[in-house]
Amino acid sequence: MFDVFSDAAKVAQQLQIIASEYSFATWETLYSLLLEVVFAYAIGLPLGVLLVTGEKDGIRPLPGWVMALLNGVINLLRSIPFLILFIIALPLSKLIVGTKVGTPATIAPMVVAAFPLVARMVETSLREVNHGVIEAAQSMGASAWQIVRKVLLPEAVPSLLSGAAITIGTILGYGAMTGIVGGGGLGKLAINYGYYNFKFIVMWAAVIGLIILVQIFQSAGTKLAAVCDKRLRNRS
Amino acid sequence: MESIIEIQNLSKRFGAGDNQVAALQNVSLSVKPGEIFGIIGLSGAGKSTLVRCINLLENPNEGAVLFHGKDLTSLKEKELRLQRRKISMIFQSFNLLDQRNALDNICFPMELAGVPRKEARKRATELLETVGLPDKASAYPVQLSGGQKQRIAIARALASDPEVLLCDEATSALDPTTTDSILKLLQKINREKGITVIIITHQMSVIEQICHRVAILDAGRVAEIGEVESVFSNPQSEAGRRLVSPESALPVSEEDGPVARIAFNGNASEEPIIASVAMDLGIKVSILGADTRNINGKAFGTMLVSLPENREDKRRVLDYLNDHEGVTAEEVR
Repeated sequence: MFDVFSDAAKVAQQLQIIASEYSFATWETLYSLLLEVVFAYAIGLPLGVLLVTGEKDGIRPLPGWVMALLNGVINLLRSIPFLILFIIALPLSKLIVGTKVGTPATIAPMVVAAFPLVARMVETSLREVNHGVIEAAQSMGASAWQIVRKVLLPEAVPSLLSGAAITIGTILGYGAMTGIVGGGGLGKLAINYGYYNFKFIVMWAAVIGLIILVQIFQSAGTKLAAVCDKRLRNRS
Repeated sequence: MESIIEIQNLSKRFGAGDNQVAALQNVSLSVKPGEIFGIIGLSGAGKSTLVRCINLLENPNEGAVLFHGKDLTSLKEKELRLQRRKISMIFQSFNLLDQRNALDNICFPMELAGVPRKEARKRATELLETVGLPDKASAYPVQLSGGQKQRIAIARALASDPEVLLCDEATSALDPTTTDSILKLLQKINREKGITVIIITHQMSVIEQICHRVAILDAGRVAEIGEVESVFSNPQSEAGRRLVSPESALPVSEEDGPVARIAFNGNASEEPIIASVAMDLGIKVSILGADTRNINGKAFGTMLVSLPENREDKRRVLDYLNDHEGVTAEEVR
């Protein structure tokens, strides 16, 4: 049985924590998310392009060993459990931001964990582009770079946006886990106060915040993809 | 006349080892500037591979493709890309960019060539006019019908001011009426702009309607080449005969007696020839199948008729038919 009155004090204390820390945690979650997504795409997008254009029948084939290496590294990074990979990659933060703790320190390892996912997402989107269109561009004398810039990427925009929504959701999930190893944000709130200190209201508040964020990004991504997709125009 | 495109001893194989398939074997043909050249063959004859070898979308294993006498297969990639702008191509599945509207699709090749945007848009607008869709500038491909998409694709192909237009089964996905209007458009472009057109098709009607010369491709080899009229009225090759008078026109019953194929090459008089045989020779022949068509106002085609069993009568009928101008008859069974 719950003791309602002593619980009332706990509830008040927890609401106090939420009031003082929630908005900062949300901010930490969002700014680290933004940086992680930007850097993950900065690395993953070109790699995804290479995975498509560099294969044997691609528009600019790369040597077989380069492709094998690229695929191997991406698969390797994708197969290591996230927390282990995060810890292995933490020294990178020491190198880049000079510390292994705190929210800024989580960004580099998060990017290491996320860019292989981005590369695969981009690869899948680009493979959906109708091969005939690429061939048409080739027949017009397009260079490989022109095909990437003017055909592959623009034609895949709706699919790339859907992929980005999934990627953002996944990075949010990973980001929450970094609370265990010194990362900040809503994940830290949920784990440190809630899980370790039995402050379950704080925990649920943080979890619900994360759920809402995922919902927002997912529906915004889906919506944006649909709006951008000229194939969905009503026939006139 | 010097040829604009000359294919010399072209061979293309797919696969390797035991699974290797020869798609093209020692194909040679030349296309004259300003003509509409048809390449016809059944599915799997190698037509598409052949047309894709012309602009080197497919790399031949052996042989040369000369464009104005210059071997494209010997060019460096950058030079080849420049030459490709002069050899445009349209496709069965149109291959428009789905995320661009019609005008921007037409601008695309000019964008690749570095034409200033304003100039490109102006030219694209003119080309929309040329293909008869001036009001579709802002329509996206999904909003267009098949025929309209092919018109946009044609406008796009013309944007780089090409000398040759390759058509890879360009009308195969269209209904007969639309096919007709697209062919008329190609003919107009050929006449007005003097662009050489090479048409790949499996449809006889396409060749008849607009081609000047035709090559029949069979199992990766050129079976015969010639003026459309002479090839269709009197095919010299087995593949040609198969195309001109399809299997279905042959009598199926084994009981039938000898059969003659009568070919009309466009110069036949209007005399009802089968009736004349009966009247003049007193021999009745019956029509087993016929496949005749009107090309440029002349009658072409073949007719299969039964011949009398009697060798003497048979001879008389064949001689009688062969005496008529524009008609050739031969016993085929």
